Amino acid sequence: MKRTAPIALLASALFLGTFPSRAEDTITFGAAVSLTGKTAKEGEYTRDGYNFAVETVNALGGISVGGKKYRIAVKYYDDETKSEITAQLIEKLINEDKVTFILGPYGSAPSGTAAPICEKYRIPMIEANGSAESIFSKGYKYTFAVLSPARLYLKGVIDLVMSKDKSVRTVAVLGENEPFSKEVAGGAADYARERGLKVVYQELYPTGTQDVSALLTEIKGRNPDIVLGAGHLQDSLLIVKQAKDLGVSPKAMGFSVGPSSPEFRANLKTNADYIFGSTQWTEALKYDGTDPWKTPKGYAEAFRAKNPKYGDIPYQVAESSAAVIAFCRAIENAGTLDPTRVRDAIAALDIMTFYGRIKFDSRGINTFKPMAVEQLQPDGRKYTVFPSSVADKDALYPMPAWDKRK
Amino acid sequence: MGGAELGQIFVNAVLLSGILALVALGFSLVWGIMNIVNLAHGAFIVLGAYITFFLHELFGVDPFLSIPVAMLALFALGWGIQRGLINQIIRAPLLATFLLTFGLELLIVNLINFFFKADLRSVTTAYSGTGLTLGAVRIPYIRLGALAVSLVLVAALAWYLKATRTGRAIRATGMDIDAARLTGVKVATVYAATFAIGAAMAGAAGSLLSMIVPFDPTLGGTYTQRAFAICVLGGLGNVANVVIGAAIFAFVDVFVGARLPSLSRAVTFGILVLLLILRPQGIAGKSV
Repeated sequence: MKRTAPIALLASALFLGTFPSRAEDTITFGAAVSLTGKTAKEGEYTRDGYNFAVETVNALGGISVGGKKYRIAVKYYDDETKSEITAQLIEKLINEDKVTFILGPYGSAPSGTAAPICEKYRIPMIEANGSAESIFSKGYKYTFAVLSPARLYLKGVIDLVMSKDKSVRTVAVLGENEPFSKEVAGGAADYARERGLKVVYQELYPTGTQDVSALLTEIKGRNPDIVLGAGHLQDSLLIVKQAKDLGVSPKAMGFSVGPSSPEFRANLKTNADYIFGSTQWTEALKYDGTDPWKTPKGYAEAFRAKNPKYGDIPYQVAESSAAVIAFCRAIENAGTLDPTRVRDAIAALDIMTFYGRIKFDSRGINTFKPMAVEQLQPDGRKYTVFPSSVADKDALYPMPAWDKRK
Repeated sequence: MGGAELGQIFVNAVLLSGILALVALGFSLVWGIMNIVNLAHGAFIVLGAYITFFLHELFGVDPFLSIPVAMLALFALGWGIQRGLINQIIRAPLLATFLLTFGLELLIVNLINFFFKADLRSVTTAYSGTGLTLGAVRIPYIRLGALAVSLVLVAALAWYLKATRTGRAIRATGMDIDAARLTGVKVATVYAATFAIGAAMAGAAGSLLSMIVPFDPTLGGTYTQRAFAICVLGGLGNVANVVIGAAIFAFVDVFVGARLPSLSRAVTFGILVLLLILRPQGIAGKSV
């Protein structure tokens, strides 16, 4: 792989440069993904998701644009988890590799640096792994995200609890002082107010905190019905541990990040029971789409058949595949490879997929797909419990007080 | 802030003081006696945490019972590292000690990362999260146990330094290395013992922290920082100074954290800077 890549690059450059008409039977997407560095794991999920969708589309005969069939391919670079390198690589993909469609990098920060480059060259990008709305608040016209935005992460938990219990009145929100988590926390608090709840506590704690007992003591004094946490895995673990230490027992606890990871149960054992976690996608959801796999289950089985090393399929894989599907559909709808007209087709896209509905608001964010909610239940398993129309099990509510459990 | 909350916050601060005192104890000892700011201290803490974690996970050993094991293992490792590495730079400029211990930290952390992966872990026992309830104030057993262990170790070290021959030799070496050598103190052995005791204390702190916070190989860095801040606040020199420094750090951190959590770190370290300007010798101790 390593040895053939430069040769392939050279070959494609020669072809593109000398005989542009010959290369047209393959549409090549460009992607700068973190294959090394801090988010190497997630970058690998992203690449595996892209590749799986590409293989599937090609196996089904590729895509048809204006009556002509094309195969698709992805040209990758490794951004080393450094968002300034992402920007350089996107520039290289557009200028040197002559790529006219970009698939997004992994993460909000690199997506944020890739967006202005795409804007500058008027090259459309569909990204699957950057959910901070700050990417979309700058009026860019060429960047689109298939995933739900950060501000909606905890909306599902609030909706779920309110559908179960009409008597909930109060909510406490604590979040990590970092751009993504701040958006999650702010969005959750705003949505709670919109639904008529009273936000009795809303504070941020510093990144890498080792003790949240001070915040939880304050929260305990205000006795909220719901406690929501917006931080990273370690914070979520710490909050649950110390909530039990201090006897903070709300009717429901939910986190934006943590519960969907297997480490959550491994660290907390039975203390993880009843806790809600938001997730972009699970294979238990019951969507019925018009893409090659149609349902989450169909997608999961086909993906595992090709990639046997995966057990549970991370949502990053699914949303990356969804980005490829959205791009292909938009190109087909546009009936041309002209980047500007494909951009317009993306903006007008409205499809149902195994990943959920894909439709972009005027900023380019997919606000039409709900965040799903998972719950860890006392039988030791994790279930998708919301939205109820697509869930696989009913949520257990309320969470029993810590000292009332066996 | 109601009375119950104030009580809880006060208790939280006291419990945190204990564990932080233990975190800083070995760091302060090595700094005070050997004039080495051991940046690998946090990595020793992490090793202690992993020892406790694996003894609990694989053999079901109660985390409190694994503390002596962690201490012994770290004592041996500390002794070896001092004889093999630190001894080479004992009279070198401060920068060399920084470089060596920083490199050591990177090495240990990356080795742990390589062998045990970056997964987050915690020690969760049947009694995790249970505790005493005094009115509206809750005292978790694990934290109470950690405070007790910390106090015992702090007192034991204070006694050892004061009452035993080796302890007095350690203090004498810290005061004046040449004079100590003239009176027949084997400085090489004293240094090895000092560094090993410091590492053992870090091991104990790691064991306790593994029950309290979820950890991964990088946990140590923030605790090295805290140990440093506590030493600056309290001043070097003796065990009591460490306890005072830890208590100030914990009370500021917890009380600011309750009111202005997003600013807690800025305020805590802001106070540190202020103190350095007003009282460079630390609250209690000799000049750093």
